[in-house]
Amino acid sequence: MKQTPDIKPTATALLVAPAAILMFGVFVLPFVFLVVLSFWSQVPGSVGIDPTFTLANYARIIGDGYYLGGLWTTLWLSGLVTLICLVLALPLARWIVLHAKRSKGLLIGLCILPLVCGALLPTLGLVNLLSPLGFINGALKSMGLIKTSLPLLGNIAGVSIGLVQAFLPLMILPLISTIERIPHDYEKAAMSLGATRLVVWRRVLLPLMLPGIVAGSLLVFCASLTAFVTPQILGQGKVVTFASLAYQQAAMVLDWPFASALGMVMLLFLALAGLLGALVSRGLGRRT
Amino acid sequence: MKRIACYAALTAVSLFPCLPALAQDYSGHTLVVGTWGGDIERLLREHVAGPLEAKTGAKVEFLLGGSGDRMSKMVAERNNPTMDVTFQNIYEAPAALKEGLVVAPDAALVPTAADVWAGMNDGCYAMSLVGLGIAYSKALFPEAPEWADLWKAEFKGKMAYAPYPSSEGDGMLAVAARIAGVDEHDPDAAFAKLAELGAPVLSYSSLDEVFTLMDAGEIAAAPMISGYVLSNLGNYEGIGFVFPKDPGPVLVRDMVCQVANSPEPELAKMFIDLALSVETQTAYAKELNFGPTNSKVELTEEEAARVINTPEEVKSLLQLDWSYIIEQRSDWTDRWNKQILGQ
Repeated sequence: MKQTPDIKPTATALLVAPAAILMFGVFVLPFVFLVVLSFWSQVPGSVGIDPTFTLANYARIIGDGYYLGGLWTTLWLSGLVTLICLVLALPLARWIVLHAKRSKGLLIGLCILPLVCGALLPTLGLVNLLSPLGFINGALKSMGLIKTSLPLLGNIAGVSIGLVQAFLPLMILPLISTIERIPHDYEKAAMSLGATRLVVWRRVLLPLMLPGIVAGSLLVFCASLTAFVTPQILGQGKVVTFASLAYQQAAMVLDWPFASALGMVMLLFLALAGLLGALVSRGLGRRT
Repeated sequence: MKRIACYAALTAVSLFPCLPALAQDYSGHTLVVGTWGGDIERLLREHVAGPLEAKTGAKVEFLLGGSGDRMSKMVAERNNPTMDVTFQNIYEAPAALKEGLVVAPDAALVPTAADVWAGMNDGCYAMSLVGLGIAYSKALFPEAPEWADLWKAEFKGKMAYAPYPSSEGDGMLAVAARIAGVDEHDPDAAFAKLAELGAPVLSYSSLDEVFTLMDAGEIAAAPMISGYVLSNLGNYEGIGFVFPKDPGPVLVRDMVCQVANSPEPELAKMFIDLALSVETQTAYAKELNFGPTNSKVELTEEEAARVINTPEEVKSLLQLDWSYIIEQRSDWTDRWNKQILGQ
């Protein structure tokens, strides 16, 4: 019995063509240009571009501790945000699946809200909350808990708070879909055999949640790695990330070749993260 | 027959003055103008775009954003520009002309340009005059500070800067160089001296952000451009603004440029002509505290006190070698990131 109706190759080509042409025009071509541009250079003291092949931009990134430092900060900041999101999202996703009955749709909607708001508005809201004269410092001072303001902006703490707020939904959603597929009986069976709650989490639930954890972690890590608005505003120019460096070079210094090389390095790490995620997923698939 | 010929001649002569008006019917045309948002856009709509639309039938469309974005756009669209007029900073205008991105200023093309103070149409047409002075916390500075006062030990690490590269940052480097006894052509001395002020409290993305903290005494001072600050200062009792004397405030000019090979060159020239007119320049001075470049603008004594509006005042200001500074952009940005922010 045929599962799908017969479609002629011509019809397939016609159906695929609009999207393929669009992707080729707005993604593939600019991407190829970006790759080529990263091997060109800016004419010194000018906004002109010298189209002679050079590795100078990449040599500058590798040879300058400042850019390597920016790369390292971006990588470990993304890892930290992924870890915090995972720790916060695991119990929340599980609670939504197991205990939120009628309110489940509403709760999932609230979780998605930061994604559909865009980055700018929530980040500007956070500035008011986190600034030395903002709500959090004001509340702590009025309760007598602190005398001088806690530095929550212009540092890793502030940027991490902003990124977790922005990307937590990317962790929650894959986890919800994974947890929903775990039969409740497994947990009860393990406990009936004498497993403590901790053992149930470690030996039963976490391994079964791994596909969701891998998917969510990959999404949050990649989104944090490329985030621009949140680190730019909450970092107040003092937290150097690769995206903010690329923006500075592209939009303010107008050194597009160097900005392209920065972008290419960022893409390389995205590809590595994707590859790692794919390997882990394949390993999980084989095990199950 | 002779009478008919005479009538025909008279009719032709009487219609002649109308001919340029007929030639200026631009219905269906759109002029694209890149500028900053907020009050600047509002004033341009009221005093330039509105009258131009009424006069020509054309539509004026504004592209809002930073001048760096517009510079990028001009470079990217070098062969096929979509923007006709752009407002740029003083340091970008000569570079834009050198790269062939804009049309050289010429009073034969834009008649009002002849009324602009001599020597100011550098790269593009001079739109407004402002100076880089010091915005300061009155709680920390009982008296208005001089530049050198910022280097007192108690203010170390209490400055705020605009994101670099910017005219504020370049101006502050030039001031630091002079405090060190040299000028902007000695970047080693300039960066070393500025680094003595410590890492800034913040690189601000909005005036409200920095003013709130300065009003509360968390930020001691910030080098700022007069027009924007004076327009916003009324909301903050604890903040003052001063044009220091030694060295004087750094002259900063906003420029209006006709984009080279743009789709609507005639409308672009008319737009710039209106932008430089006495009416628009007066509104800029009265409402934004931006000094007029049109020498025919007359201000009251009170209004004139808040703006730079004479060549004598301009001469008292610190004028920088912007062409040199723009050539150092890439190198200085690296140095700013490492030596000023990365302390």
